[in-house]
Amino acid sequence: MKARPLLRWAGVLCVFAAVSVYCIEASGSGDPKAPAAEQADIVLIDDMTAYGKLELPPVVFAHDKHTEALKKAGKDCAACHKQENGKLVLKFMRVADGDAQAMKSVYHDNCIGCHAQTAAKGQKAGPQDGQCRSCHNPKAAAGKQLDMGFTNVLHYRHAESKDIASPSGDKDNCGRCHHEYDKAAKKTVWAKGKEGTCRYCHLDKPVKDAALGVEVESFRQAAHNDCVTCHLGMEQKKQATGPVLCAGCHGATGQKSIRANDKKVLDKIGGELPRMKRGQPDAAVIAVNVDKAQAASGARIYAMRPAPFDHKAHEQATDTCRACHHKSMDSCTKCHTVQGTKDSNFVTLETAMHGLASTRSCVGCHQTRQADPKCAGCHTSADRGKKASNESCRKCHAEPVQGLPALDPAALSGMKAADEKPLAEPYLAARRMEAQVFATEDIPEKVTIKVLADEYEPSELPHRKIVMTLLKNMKDDKLAGYFHGDMGTVCQGCHHNSPVSKTPPSCASCHAKPFSPNEPGRPGLKAAYHGQCMGCHTAMKLEKPVATDCANGCHKPRKK
Amino acid sequence: MRRRKFLTLMGAAGAGLALGKTPAHAASNAHFEGYPDAKAVLFDATRCIGCRKCEEACNKVNKLPAPAKPFTDLTVLDTERRTSAKAHTVVNKYMPAGAAAPVFRKIQCNHCQEPACASACFVRAFKKNPDGSVTYDASVCVGCRYCIMACPFNVPTYEYDEPLTPRVMKCTMCHPQITAGELSVPGCVGACPKEALVYGRRKDILKIAHARIEANPGRYVDHVYGEREMGGTNWLTLSGAPFKEIGMREDLGVTSAPELTSGALAVVPMVAALWPALLGGIWAISKRNEKTADEERAAAVKAAVAGNQAENDAKLAKFKEQAEKDKAGSIEREVKKALEEAAAAAKEEEGA
Ligand code: SF4
Ligand code: SF4
Repeated sequence: MKARPLLRWAGVLCVFAAVSVYCIEASGSGDPKAPAAEQADIVLIDDMTAYGKLELPPVVFAHDKHTEALKKAGKDCAACHKQENGKLVLKFMRVADGDAQAMKSVYHDNCIGCHAQTAAKGQKAGPQDGQCRSCHNPKAAAGKQLDMGFTNVLHYRHAESKDIASPSGDKDNCGRCHHEYDKAAKKTVWAKGKEGTCRYCHLDKPVKDAALGVEVESFRQAAHNDCVTCHLGMEQKKQATGPVLCAGCHGATGQKSIRANDKKVLDKIGGELPRMKRGQPDAAVIAVNVDKAQAASGARIYAMRPAPFDHKAHEQATDTCRACHHKSMDSCTKCHTVQGTKDSNFVTLETAMHGLASTRSCVGCHQTRQADPKCAGCHTSADRGKKASNESCRKCHAEPVQGLPALDPAALSGMKAADEKPLAEPYLAARRMEAQVFATEDIPEKVTIKVLADEYEPSELPHRKIVMTLLKNMKDDKLAGYFHGDMGTVCQGCHHNSPVSKTPPSCASCHAKPFSPNEPGRPGLKAAYHGQCMGCHTAMKLEKPVATDCANGCHKPRKK
Repeated sequence: MRRRKFLTLMGAAGAGLALGKTPAHAASNAHFEGYPDAKAVLFDATRCIGCRKCEEACNKVNKLPAPAKPFTDLTVLDTERRTSAKAHTVVNKYMPAGAAAPVFRKIQCNHCQEPACASACFVRAFKKNPDGSVTYDASVCVGCRYCIMACPFNVPTYEYDEPLTPRVMKCTMCHPQITAGELSVPGCVGACPKEALVYGRRKDILKIAHARIEANPGRYVDHVYGEREMGGTNWLTLSGAPFKEIGMREDLGVTSAPELTSGALAVVPMVAALWPALLGGIWAISKRNEKTADEERAAAVKAAVAGNQAENDAKLAKFKEQAEKDKAGSIEREVKKALEEAAAAAKEEEGA
């Protein structure tokens, strides 16, 4: 029985290993679980990082919790924030930052001071002197603020609000928020007709603008200074207004209620948002910028055909102007030229319009719409990155139409948007915006697939029903309608890799041979059928037939 | 009795541990790259729908007995299964964290390029064929079942209910049927309605696998399982979910079993040189009882797990709590105590 001691020692080793594992686990299990609350109000106070290495970790501060506690104690924002020019300053208990010692004192004196006072009154209070780690606690839950964006509906609600008056008595109140800095007057003023999104000037970080001689606030500062102070002011006047607490904009519940109110407003005006009053064109023509001198010299101009563009329709389809106008409210071709410019970061016009990597490009944005289960069946991930067909180029780059004004890139270069409109509109009006298919009788009603029948009876494919369902899915969708406006485009969803035809070749014409490693992209017939049908059903989130329910789904078992 | 069970359990685990930890001391620098024209199968878990057609085909081509539940009964997938003497391949269902739909994975012999089963077998009942398959010859098998112990993928099984001539059973990659010209591809591959299984030269199949990863960004984990695992296998797997989430070991390393123990299979095919080094640990356990060793161990493990579960949990919870309070000290004490206890137990058993 020599084996025994060996066995025992194996056991000993195992116990040792097991205990070591426990040790590692035990020593690594100090992190407290994050609380279930939204944590939209958790702010990291790390101002001191600007002054060098921190002695203690930054403070994790629950803003809304404090606001509510102060409210109960009969205090308001002034308990923590000073005012400057009638506006609340977002910094804590100061108007501007001092040196490190001063900053430290601001926080320590005021935070601990208030906590001590509260405690002295016998009320529940925050950490006191000496309890450093209660505030400087690296393990406290991190904040989780949801991004808040100003959508077109929210814009409309502000623009239409009677409670927000125009500063200049104008009938539109755009100037209440939109501004630019007037160097001479040393203040911000409304530049009518030049309104853009806040983010154009207010960037991620505050920046010193040498030309204007001011520091331009960061977007975060600007949004909180302007939005929250305005809301607060209205709240004090007992007017209905927007959120004042962090969670109101940055918490899930807050955003839900904003969206619910958006919907109410939308329903009231019949579901369609009126357009913004910014003088934007209804229609324009996007054309390559042509060098005028070169054109005048009679040299031949090589340029892609201009693309008439329905600006109005696209306004309805996007949620913000900056969805496309990301840097400025100018036309795309101003920065994006054929070669690209420094202003465009050398993103060429071609990439700006077609780049798949960005949702700002035309094709990139259109492609995101294909992820809709209604579309995803045909537009599977497999056709991503595939070269677009020539037909699809022509969809935007208009071919000359007899009787319509010619779209000449040279003439269009530098043209005002207002002048482009009459050129673009006839082309847009001539577009067929509804998906087309072949005449019903030309679409086979049933297709019986019998080549593989063996264990099962031949499978009957409800062919016409499938086509009609796809067509129905595109109804009322202008984007889909326009891009499937030619006969046979819909058919290509299944009858891929073959020319458009009323009688496309059968699946077996390409897939007859079984799988061969020499042609890895071409599945054998059985896998081609199953891959196509099941792939589409899965992408369209169709629950029936279940892929594995052979006998009740698509196949009848053959009687033996 | 409980201690005995515990030690049996630990012994089994210990042998596994010892095996896994054996340092690579391959004397040879020659690494067996596989037969040049060896075939391979690629299983693509993102294509598999869990229909069990492959299981059915395997059953048919290998003339295995009909299962208790028909292959069309997919409720079978609700419990995780392993291969058995009557099912050389099984499909399991997994629900990886965060996945929208279940993922299915087919298990069978992976046909290692340098098979552990073959290197463990001292009568050379296993053979790596030039077509990539690993097959077994029952006529020379002495029934020691070292192959079963050695396989890192837990594949070969034993015909326990065969009283006279029990055999080790596992997938053959349909080597006999393909050699005889009865099949052109393995049974499961031919039956799969989704081409979740494809068969071809390993070289080509590897290229196809990498091309799929390349062509479908985001669809796959960027790894072909089996390309290098345990020195490479002739059954390769692609998955969209992390491999360990679909029950595949990620701790195997890239060194083949024979290389880990002695020398590469291709270099030192000498039985005598191979088995002692590999089997040191396993041998000690297997030897102490003949036929019933496996059953006994399985039963002991099962009983120990079931019987001590609650007790273990409680112990663990208590220990954790204590450890948190005073980490270093208590851990040290526990280790010491455990070691002493185990040593005492060993002694006691020794004397008995
Ligand atoms: S998977 Fe297991 S049984 Fe198959 S060849 Fe490898 S070691 Fe042998
Ligand atoms: S036959 Fe193919 S799809 Fe069906 S379970 Fe097997 S591998 Fe998966």
